[in-house]
Amino acid sequence: MNGLTLLASVTPFDEPRDRSGVLDRAKAGDLGAFEELMRRYERMVLVTALRLLGSLPDAQDVSQEVFLKLYRNLGKLESSGAFPGWLYRVTVNTCHDWRRRCPASLSMEDAGEIASGEADPQQQTAAGERKRALEMSLRLLSAREREALVLRDLEGLSTEEVARVLGSTEATVRSQISKARVKVKGFVERYFRRRV
Amino acid sequence: MNCKEWEDRIALYAGSDLPAAAGALVEQHLEECLGCQLFASGLREAQAFLAECHEEVPDEAHFAAVRARVVAKLERQRVPWWQRGWGYGFAAVAALVVLLLAGKVPTADVPSPQVAMAHPPAPPLVAPVRAKVPEAGRAAAKGFAGEPVLIRIVSNDPDVVIYWIAETKGE
Repeated sequence: MNGLTLLASVTPFDEPRDRSGVLDRAKAGDLGAFEELMRRYERMVLVTALRLLGSLPDAQDVSQEVFLKLYRNLGKLESSGAFPGWLYRVTVNTCHDWRRRCPASLSMEDAGEIASGEADPQQQTAAGERKRALEMSLRLLSAREREALVLRDLEGLSTEEVARVLGSTEATVRSQISKARVKVKGFVERYFRRRV
Repeated sequence: MNCKEWEDRIALYAGSDLPAAAGALVEQHLEECLGCQLFASGLREAQAFLAECHEEVPDEAHFAAVRARVVAKLERQRVPWWQRGWGYGFAAVAALVVLLLAGKVPTADVPSPQVAMAHPPAPPLVAPVRAKVPEAGRAAAKGFAGEPVLIRIVSNDPDVVIYWIAETKGE
């Protein structure tokens, strides 16, 4: 199992069993059930927003907006099967709007603030530097390329699911993903060559 | 097809995004082309680097903060307006009570405070008043250049009186 499949296995696309009950209770106005729903999907929403925006405070603000939109639209969600896809779509669109609204806040620096456990300070610095390098490489991508790459390679969605989330065709998504991968490869190679 | 044209396919192949037939063609080309083999391994490294950098997730506290903000906002929205604005309502009722009590206070019995006011007799509009200096003092002061003159200007308004002290240049 490689890193990508490992990441794919933690996405909540494959847990429709008891989702429906919680969703129904939340629809009925049970705030506790809605909180439970948030607990299940908060990782997906916050981490996706963080990967797309590169700033933890911005990602938190976007997550809040996404969950409030979810609450307002609970009644419109027809089947629980489409729920994660809907949530991804709302997250991506809210990030899109956020970038348009506050372009200056796209700092990419806060991504390095993610806690790195008990690593020693030297390791933390190295990890933070690598993270910043990666964020810089993601900045080279267009918004659509970045969204496609994050959803496919980091969130582990299939090309078909990415196309559905982005409201695009599979062919377009494939083209965006291949371009993004080549760009990131080029940046990573240049970065490490310079470092060495 | 030159190697540049293979790049997009290899990038998709590296992420298992090609149909089986197209993937087989890429594999065949990779067996023959050293440059593309290097390109493919570079892609895989970059993908692994990307995944590794994003493996960590934010602290639980960051998730809890979002949850708390959302729940607080929803709870605020769910409280009926008459409960939400109880503070303002209480203040309004208190203000009304104070006004009603103030309206009941007997005001007729309380005599108005007496203010001592004495209107001075109407003097001429401008009346130069010489400062009173005793004869002896005046005689002593004669040697000086001048003595001060106090001018009192009284307007029609009894509350406005202007004093003007001026010096004269002798007699």
